Amino acid sequence: MKSSGLKRQLGWLYVLPALLILLTFLIIPFLMSFDYSFTDYNILTPWSKHWVGFANYINTFKDPVFLESLKNIAQFVIFIMPIQVGLALALALIVNKKRPWNTFFKISFFAPQVVSLTVVSILWLYILNPDQGLLNGILSVFHIKAQPFLTSPKQAMFTIIGVSAWQGAGYQMLIFLAGLQNIPHSLYEAAELDGANAWQRFLHITLPSLKPTTIMILTTTFISAFNLMIQPMIMTQGGPQNSTMTPIYYIYRTGFTDRQLGYASAMSVIYGIIIIIFTIIQRKITNAGGDENA
Amino acid sequence: MFYFFVIKMKRFKGREIMKKWKIGVAAIAAVAALALGGCGNNQSGSNSKNVTMWIHVSNTDPEGKALQKNINDFNKENKHGYKAKVQFIPRSGSGGGYEDKINAALNSGSLPDVISLDGPNTAAYAHSKIIQPVGKYISNKGDLLQTIKNQGTYKGKMYAVGYSESSIGFYYNKKMFKEAGVKPSEIPTLEKPWNWNQFEAVCKKITDHFHEPAINMSLNDHSEMSLYSLAPLMWSAGGSITNPAGTKAVGYFNSKQTTSAFQFIQDMVKKGYTTISPKDKGFETGKYAMLMSGTWEVQTLQNQYKNLDWGVLPYPVSPKTNKEVSPTGSWQYAMTSAAKNKKAAGALINFLVNKKCMYRSDMANTVLPARKSVSKMMMLKVGPAMKFFIKQNQTTGHARPVLVNYPQVTRTFAETVQDVTLYKKNPNVQKVMNNQAKVIQKYLKK
Repeated sequence: MKSSGLKRQLGWLYVLPALLILLTFLIIPFLMSFDYSFTDYNILTPWSKHWVGFANYINTFKDPVFLESLKNIAQFVIFIMPIQVGLALALALIVNKKRPWNTFFKISFFAPQVVSLTVVSILWLYILNPDQGLLNGILSVFHIKAQPFLTSPKQAMFTIIGVSAWQGAGYQMLIFLAGLQNIPHSLYEAAELDGANAWQRFLHITLPSLKPTTIMILTTTFISAFNLMIQPMIMTQGGPQNSTMTPIYYIYRTGFTDRQLGYASAMSVIYGIIIIIFTIIQRKITNAGGDENA
Repeated sequence: MFYFFVIKMKRFKGREIMKKWKIGVAAIAAVAALALGGCGNNQSGSNSKNVTMWIHVSNTDPEGKALQKNINDFNKENKHGYKAKVQFIPRSGSGGGYEDKINAALNSGSLPDVISLDGPNTAAYAHSKIIQPVGKYISNKGDLLQTIKNQGTYKGKMYAVGYSESSIGFYYNKKMFKEAGVKPSEIPTLEKPWNWNQFEAVCKKITDHFHEPAINMSLNDHSEMSLYSLAPLMWSAGGSITNPAGTKAVGYFNSKQTTSAFQFIQDMVKKGYTTISPKDKGFETGKYAMLMSGTWEVQTLQNQYKNLDWGVLPYPVSPKTNKEVSPTGSWQYAMTSAAKNKKAAGALINFLVNKKCMYRSDMANTVLPARKSVSKMMMLKVGPAMKFFIKQNQTTGHARPVLVNYPQVTRTFAETVQDVTLYKKNPNVQKVMNNQAKVIQKYLKK
């Protein structure tokens, strides 16, 4: 039909602004960095780029800091997923019940999300200071020895995982909460009549009903976890001994502090491919779990 | 009837569609305008009498205000009718914003005629031909401090001229020193500094008395501050990062002399005299007896901590050499390769670093002068702490190395400091130095 053709054209027109923005800020830059990744592009000499073939790619796999950063981000992703998502679900369950002060808790749990990551990082720097920080002060009440936190190569990444989970959980709590409130109350009533206790109701009604929400949250957390940069940049500068160096931070530093844009581009192409592969795997796994709710 | 209705509907829809069309077009136009507006607003003057300049400070800073006055004077006083115009591009704490703008301008070819740049950038900018030699336009060069000339010189040519100097001192709390039993007669001077052993003995006295680290050496700062403030210890011992040509680090960064300075840093942490996680404002609030900090601390202490009775001590020296060394360096002016009228740009830089302008800007910003003659003028006006710094700067100052890959080298230096302060993990300083010398070597080859 004629009008549907017009509609289709109109549809393209509507998405055009978004497409233009995507093209300008995502697709074209990506193609450009692909191009740069085969050159010795130095940010100070944009006029003299030389083709170096696969040299940047070969160097990437020989770069101990880049390899270390891959190890670090794996550690971060593996730990942040259950901690942050679990924390978000727990918080959502707490504020889902009607209680006095509920609004206060909801706001408190969500508040870290509103504050910029930079501010959060600086705030935690004070809390985590081994010599005068609040956290060691609290630990000393329980007669626990003062911990080095960010100044120790062993603890630094776990500390950043904790801070990130604290910061990020509030947002996912809100999504979980929306999911919880969508569960029909009649299901719980029926279960209660059948004599199911609270734990059984949670296990057999709440969790299955939250499945689509959980998949969505897992996917977004997974992808954003790979982009970790601000926290280590502010709190540790990737140290001590590169124990909190992440790929994105390392790529940024190589490109803009060390001025090696060509090399940084090669690393970002490799890292981009790694993320795409893992996202596909992750989607396969979560979809394989059954589609009854999809 | 029904048919008519449909036609009417269609017409109505058509109008609606037209409207949306227009909105869509307007939206696209707006996006395009925004995108285009971002570029090309920085046309450097094609008129040869005009000189454009970028500076990294804000026009509300004392430094920015003084610069604007200096520029106004230049426009009035120069005999060739040159007109200079400055654009203020405040940098972020770590120097971000401003340098990003320079990098972007390189890509779009929109650099101004004159820029300000930080000392350690001289080599990279000169090597990349972003800036060009400026020496022949500068008058009275003999009056400039040697450290300023070293900082701005690359491969034997002067590429940039510093307009101020900086330094670090060991601030100390007089009351706490007295309480811990450090006698006033023991207080060191530039002529008779403490060596590292004497310094450690004093730290022990203080640490034992107050049960707190004696000094905050800013070891939690892994930025440029690390090399800037700690390299003088290495230079005092006769060590260095590279050979003078800047081509070899192995054999220099892991030499006995360099290692001895890093051993001193490790000992300070290991013995509890300093800490890798200092309390915020610990010196200002009387928790630490000493603070290693820059000239900028003078104003903070004078304005905000009026009850604190403090003084400034020189760097402790290597017991092997007894050589007093202090850090130097700051921002400078340079002429870009894009400068159309070299004479005009050179005249502007020469004017901004003359005695009068430098005095105005350095006094306004309470920084150390870059000319001997300006020091003499400032000595009459400033307090004892600034007097100490001016003297320390002129008699013991040491410029940072001029290296193309300076960002990588300074970071490796900071990482080395962090490595040796983790003394349990890295008890063997020499081993750390051997490894890190190789890392630096890698950056020198390129």
